[in-house]
Amino acid sequence: MSVAAQSERGPVRSRSESWRPALATLFGLLLIAATAEIVLDGALGHSALIPKSPNIAGWMAGIGERLGYGVFLIALLVMTGAYAGLLAVTRGRPGEAISNRWLLILIGALQLIVFAGPILLSTDVFSYIAYARMGVEHGLNPYLHGPVAIEHDPVYVYVGHDWRHVATAYGPLYTLLSYPLAPLGVVGALWGMKIEALLASAGTLALTWRCARARDLDPAWAILAVGANPLYVIYGLGGAHNDLIMMLLMMSAVSLTLVGHPSSRREAAAGATIVAGALVKATVAVLLPFMILSRRTLAPILGALAALVLGGLVGYAAFGVHGIDVVAALNRDAAFVSSDSFATEIAHLLGKPGVFPIDHDLLKAALVLIGLHLLWRTWRGYDWVAASGWALLAISVTSTWLLAWYILWPLPLAVVTRDRRLLGATLGVQALFIIHQLAPLIAPVQ
Amino acid sequence: MSQASTPAQRGRWDRLPAWLRPRERELPGSGRTRLIETTLLVLAGLILAVATVNDLARAVGVNQRLIADERTWRGYTAHDYHNLSIDQELLGAGTQHEVVCGNTRPAPPKDTTQLCLLIWGPVHNGRRTVHGGWYLPAKVEDVRADRYGCFGAGAQGICPP
Repeated sequence: MSVAAQSERGPVRSRSESWRPALATLFGLLLIAATAEIVLDGALGHSALIPKSPNIAGWMAGIGERLGYGVFLIALLVMTGAYAGLLAVTRGRPGEAISNRWLLILIGALQLIVFAGPILLSTDVFSYIAYARMGVEHGLNPYLHGPVAIEHDPVYVYVGHDWRHVATAYGPLYTLLSYPLAPLGVVGALWGMKIEALLASAGTLALTWRCARARDLDPAWAILAVGANPLYVIYGLGGAHNDLIMMLLMMSAVSLTLVGHPSSRREAAAGATIVAGALVKATVAVLLPFMILSRRTLAPILGALAALVLGGLVGYAAFGVHGIDVVAALNRDAAFVSSDSFATEIAHLLGKPGVFPIDHDLLKAALVLIGLHLLWRTWRGYDWVAASGWALLAISVTSTWLLAWYILWPLPLAVVTRDRRLLGATLGVQALFIIHQLAPLIAPVQ
Repeated sequence: MSQASTPAQRGRWDRLPAWLRPRERELPGSGRTRLIETTLLVLAGLILAVATVNDLARAVGVNQRLIADERTWRGYTAHDYHNLSIDQELLGAGTQHEVVCGNTRPAPPKDTTQLCLLIWGPVHNGRRTVHGGWYLPAKVEDVRADRYGCFGAGAQGICPP
């Protein structure tokens, strides 16, 4: 290239660079506006998208209209576009297009807007409260009974119809964590759950920052990719899902292995933390074999075993054998089928009405093959964090019961690995999930 | 991915053949594994994308049919009510035969006598064909024993004798 051409390209490039802060600001404002629109409309109360709930956000209700599919999906699309744009204009340019402080304010604002608003898109949080109240207020074991056992309790009317006869599938650590909230009443417990979700989200983002910095990746961009993600903000935090607590423990374990001087004590603590996460929600246990293969020391195994024994004893003491029978809960949930799962979509593509039992077996076999390949790659030096992320993504893609917050699991891992294919695949799967929601926008049924 | 090839913990795994030994970091290699993985990922992504778009088109088709059903109910009853319930299962899932129920006078859903219509066939001018129906008393679900005033050939066998 000639010197003249180089000197011409310089000003052109700097002119285009000068648009980055303006674009970043625009995308950030769009994200906030779309989030606020969903929350303000949701604050008007029950609709097809807002579950029946105590009126915790009534003070916001004077501005919007009741949240319908049209407004929600347009806002979700705007959020998705703004998020993609923001990632594009800030990528590889830490602190230039958008300062770290501005970025933290943006992420904090998104989280706080959703925190202040109503419960969005899911009744799960009321199941959490019902299980806690069953144990604390009614002396019932939530691993043996569904919420129908407390049908006169004030929380019962808010529990989703499909879940009223279903005993809890969550780990004993999560159930015990939720117990202190039970005496606070439904509204108090609901705020308690929302605070737990917000703190778990803040913790996950802080640990993601630490892990990204430890790997010489841009930490600001990493937490932007997680904390401004539309599914994370609207579905994960908006529904106060306990997946956020699981992700906090997952990132704690990753942080223990990536940040600071490696030591047996840290590796043992990392193994124990993964088990703690699995005692919240079993899925995160998938990280353990990858960590063990990667470290090839006894420490994480011993840490995991110690936590398993301790957690098992506490779970058994509190809930009996059903409280620690994770396999039974996983088997039960693995049989569920949701219309949003890729398995159902592929069944429809093949002309079948839905997923058959043989399909469950095929999907499990595919998952085992993927797992074995990832284990082999980890043994031969592939990054165990990336392998864990791929495994979590594979679980959500092959699951016949897919919910939006399941495709959040690999996201914090994806932003702290150098294999960018994982982030691309995770965001791609999320994009397909959003596209699949669009039918009511194209053909609205009243 | 790392550039250096570092056999892990030399000694403990030396008995294993080289291709089986663990590594601290990946070999730079020819990138063949990565290429195969990426190809499979792209193929899987394409299949998922096609399945998603196909399912979206399918859902849009169902919604358009339901919109036609609602319009048919409103046209048939001359009531511009919007709180209608549609049962896609009663006449067989996947048959595209639907039962649409709605109030016979203004009231909250199911608070008054309801009229249910059996609707199927192709969409013409935004509507489908009514093949029969029945009435339901207020505040009941659509169960066979509560149906009365059945009419049309389509309602035969569905209503109580």
